[in-house]
Amino acid sequence: MAWRHFTLVAFFLLAGVGLVARVVYLNVTERQFLIDQGERRSIKSQEIPAHRGVIYDRFGEPLAVSTPVMAVYANLREGELDQDDRRALCVTLELDCQRLSRRLAQHRDSRFLYLARGVAVDVAEELAALKLPGIGFLKEYRRFYPAGESTAHVVGLTDIDDQGIEGIELSFDAQLQGEAGRKVVLKDRSGQVIKELDYADPARFGADLTLSLDLRLQFLAYRELKSAVQSHRAKAGSLVMLDVATGEILALVNQPAFNPNEPVASLEGLRNRAATDIYEPGSTMKPFTILAALKSGRYERHTMIDTSPFYIGRKRVHDPAERGEISLETALKKSSQTAIARVALDLGERAVFDVLSEAGVGEYLGTGLHGEVVGKLTDDGLERPIAHTTLAYGYGLAITPLQLADAYMMLANGGIRRPVSVLRQAEAPAGYRVFDEHFVHQVVQMMEGVTARGGTAPGAHIEGFRVAGKTGTIRKVVAGAYDDGQHAAWFAGMAPATAPRIVTVVLIDEPQGEDFSGGKVAAPVFGRVMARTMHLLGVPPDAQPEQALAGVGY
Amino acid sequence: MSGRLLAGWLAALAFLVCSGVQVAFSTEAVRGQHRTLQALQGRLDAAVAVYSRLQLELATVAAYQQVEQTAEQELGMRFPEDVTRVAR
Repeated sequence: MAWRHFTLVAFFLLAGVGLVARVVYLNVTERQFLIDQGERRSIKSQEIPAHRGVIYDRFGEPLAVSTPVMAVYANLREGELDQDDRRALCVTLELDCQRLSRRLAQHRDSRFLYLARGVAVDVAEELAALKLPGIGFLKEYRRFYPAGESTAHVVGLTDIDDQGIEGIELSFDAQLQGEAGRKVVLKDRSGQVIKELDYADPARFGADLTLSLDLRLQFLAYRELKSAVQSHRAKAGSLVMLDVATGEILALVNQPAFNPNEPVASLEGLRNRAATDIYEPGSTMKPFTILAALKSGRYERHTMIDTSPFYIGRKRVHDPAERGEISLETALKKSSQTAIARVALDLGERAVFDVLSEAGVGEYLGTGLHGEVVGKLTDDGLERPIAHTTLAYGYGLAITPLQLADAYMMLANGGIRRPVSVLRQAEAPAGYRVFDEHFVHQVVQMMEGVTARGGTAPGAHIEGFRVAGKTGTIRKVVAGAYDDGQHAAWFAGMAPATAPRIVTVVLIDEPQGEDFSGGKVAAPVFGRVMARTMHLLGVPPDAQPEQALAGVGY
Repeated sequence: MSGRLLAGWLAALAFLVCSGVQVAFSTEAVRGQHRTLQALQGRLDAAVAVYSRLQLELATVAAYQQVEQTAEQELGMRFPEDVTRVAR
């Protein structure tokens, strides 16, 4: 049996000698070849981009969609692009050839130079088929906004790396973004992927988001606001529309706007003014003064008030027309400064302020709209008669159009406050009562006079519907003083007044020309938008024919 | 003793060969699965691309302004700006 043992030992010895010989051969003869091949390949971990979630309107219309595209890059150390290669690149990617040549010359030692991003997949495939030296491709996503300008301020936009930089895209970025995955790949020396070895972690798609916006109403609001801003040569404008029952924002538009599908030309249009810019609300606050008066128990709808001019300190309070004694209801209908000032003086220093505070005027709403600010409402110096009087007609405080809409929504809800939301609500959030329903209903009924014949805003009238609202025309502060030449025009209202469904606020900033009042500039926008909104939402008319424009009888 | 040793060596060798063959089979199976995964990933990407493109096209065609324009200009329809009351 010894020979068998010997044979086996010899076999293993020979195998060992063979292995050693192979090692020596590879280390001596093939050494350079192997080093070269090793350098050409390396195992790397590569990111798998995640598909960003889609943003929808309340009925599932897409407002922001990501679609796969390719980024084209060049590794200029890998190979030189000759004249024909460059021409092919320029033609396929629609680039300026001279500019491309300059860039390639500037970065001639670069291992990674983006040539084009957001290239359509079929174009990238066409380019890949040319097998140009050093040209590589990376998958990425590009965001498209089908509604363009009309939803730009709410939806916002992403940067070229698909990161949210404005609007909902920024506020809900973490939710929309998803999680990038990772895969293990074998790359050659030029960084080109030779082979995908393993999927270490799959990409997780971002979550979709459904906003409360109704795209139909949004477009309607956008078109009417843009038209009004252009026809009045105004500096800017905003419109906010809320659903009274749920607190959802159905439409929110601003002018100037921007097209999120194109590079942003001006920063001026980027601002979501309805949530970021504060203005004095002017006479739109008068319904709250009326509410304070009713709440005090000292006033009723028909209580007569003297409107003759008077002085508070050195400040003369007067109306454009002498009206003698008028009722509280007429004071609101005619927007009488003197009547409201007399009521405020009579109520005492905190009465109006307390009502405004309870109504949430100027409060931070926390809707998730990017850049939303808190308004200004303070009781500092309220003991001075001029301070609490001017507060009663909307000076000495500042709020955003969105905050004014929130305050009017409380009136429309009969004294119940509800949170404002930019996301669609599965069910109406619970509200809480801040004022007695009886008083609030009286105020809303009085506000109907504003849009009736003889009121300050017949332009806000809607055929077949009873509309309650209030105008506001403010002088703007320029260099620390009120400027008689610069105004902002407000209209805030609700319809149908008997059971409000929608609250809308319109602001036109610095309208030019003869007409600059809220009734002439902002109210007609409200009227046109709300007329179509009532039809689109299928709201049944609540006005009898004889009530149309004839004033409302109670 | 030497017979048992030889048997041991042969068993070890047989185990080694089997293990090697099994590794080869496993590697091939992994490659196959990986190819399937890559193909599925490609199909998913393509489906996402088509879906998002269709969503965009649908949004463009069915946009409110488009519908309104078609209704007014091609079909001669008008928005009921004035309320028409029908007396019964």
